[in-house]
Amino acid sequence: MIPLNAQTVHTALCVLFLFLTPITNSWGKDLEAFPNLNFSDLASVKEAARVLEEELKLAARPQTYVLIDLAEKTIHIKGRGVKLHHMPIGQWTVKSRETLTGVHRLVARPSVVRRKIEPGKSAEQDPISLADMPADYDLSFASGLTIVVASSAGKDSLVQGIAFMGKAWWRQVKNWASAIGRDSSIPPAHLELTVSVDHAQSLAWSLVDGMAIIIRRPADSDAF
Amino acid sequence: MSRVILAGTAVAVLIVWIAMAPDARITVSTASRAVHRPVVRDASSLRALQAKYKTLSTQLAKLQPSQPYILVDTARNRLYVKRHGEVVLDAIASTGSGTILDKPGDDANQWIFDTPRGEFLVQSKLTKPTWIKPDWAFIEEGIGVPQNAADRAEEGVLGDYALGFGKGYFIHGTLYTRLLGKNVTHGCIRLNDSDLKGVYTLARVGTPIMIF
Repeated sequence: MIPLNAQTVHTALCVLFLFLTPITNSWGKDLEAFPNLNFSDLASVKEAARVLEEELKLAARPQTYVLIDLAEKTIHIKGRGVKLHHMPIGQWTVKSRETLTGVHRLVARPSVVRRKIEPGKSAEQDPISLADMPADYDLSFASGLTIVVASSAGKDSLVQGIAFMGKAWWRQVKNWASAIGRDSSIPPAHLELTVSVDHAQSLAWSLVDGMAIIIRRPADSDAF
Repeated sequence: MSRVILAGTAVAVLIVWIAMAPDARITVSTASRAVHRPVVRDASSLRALQAKYKTLSTQLAKLQPSQPYILVDTARNRLYVKRHGEVVLDAIASTGSGTILDKPGDDANQWIFDTPRGEFLVQSKLTKPTWIKPDWAFIEEGIGVPQNAADRAEEGVLGDYALGFGKGYFIHGTLYTRLLGKNVTHGCIRLNDSDLKGVYTLARVGTPIMIF
């Protein structure tokens, strides 16, 4: 029988603590929605909690949705809180950051040219594939948010670069035009994502009408 | 006598401590009001937010499927069965072609052969399924739609098993295994025989199917 004194109990508790710490830490990590969250930064934790509140509403229903995580520079396709697929974001810029909160429902996405089956011909007619998806496009949401997806390849050559700038200029003109008659103190939210061609096409493929999107903003004000 | 001295000393120490304590509290309080108060408030806000974040994370984790679920990537034509985030089965599939077919006599209406996206459930598990050919199958072949229901039945084209997930969509087998990995179907999800058997074994009625 080992005599129980304060020293023995203290030592035993220390050993138990050291043994359990890695286990409990890993439990915590499994449960955490944003494992890389800076847990000591108030603004970061506040934003993460806000996003989780929004996501819980979406994850409670049988649907897939998109989380655009600007803090981690990643686009996630999710369902029931499970990360189904992810795409890295190369760069992003935003206007009206404060209006990015809430759930945004997709109302307009790029059209896809679908091939028509000719009855009586071979069943092996060209299907649609990822390569048929656009790599540069705009997404419009019921909330007024516009997301511009620009592929990194779209800026590579001079011609593509000029075309890209032309599109950006035209978008700005449209924004000015639509702002006439509207409360100009609340500009529409505008997010531009630069991703690789593959990921731009993959995102275009995965989106469906009415799909819900939530956005996690980085807490660091310098990022804007 | 020594006990009396000890007790007296203890009482004296207690009196001195009580006399000094209020000053100490005021000092700390004043100092915190002057300099540290926002930090103290932020610290308590941070703790509250950390607790809220942990609670929400736990709630979100509880929504994740606790049983095996099927994940279908229609862009890359892959089907996975996952359990607690781990891949249990990885299969090459064929999913919807995205092509369109005009409905006869109705210019405005078309069939679009997409695999539906979103979350579904396995609603039925069939062995030796018979394909009841829908109208589009006949129209696509350029032949008339039969009036007799029995003329729609076709044996042996769906493989040994089929898992229905609603609105006529199934995970089933195929005779055209060379087309696996391509978007060639009318919306159903095709697998080879061994993968189909694996999915059939792992899935139950009610197993979630997430398609993107």
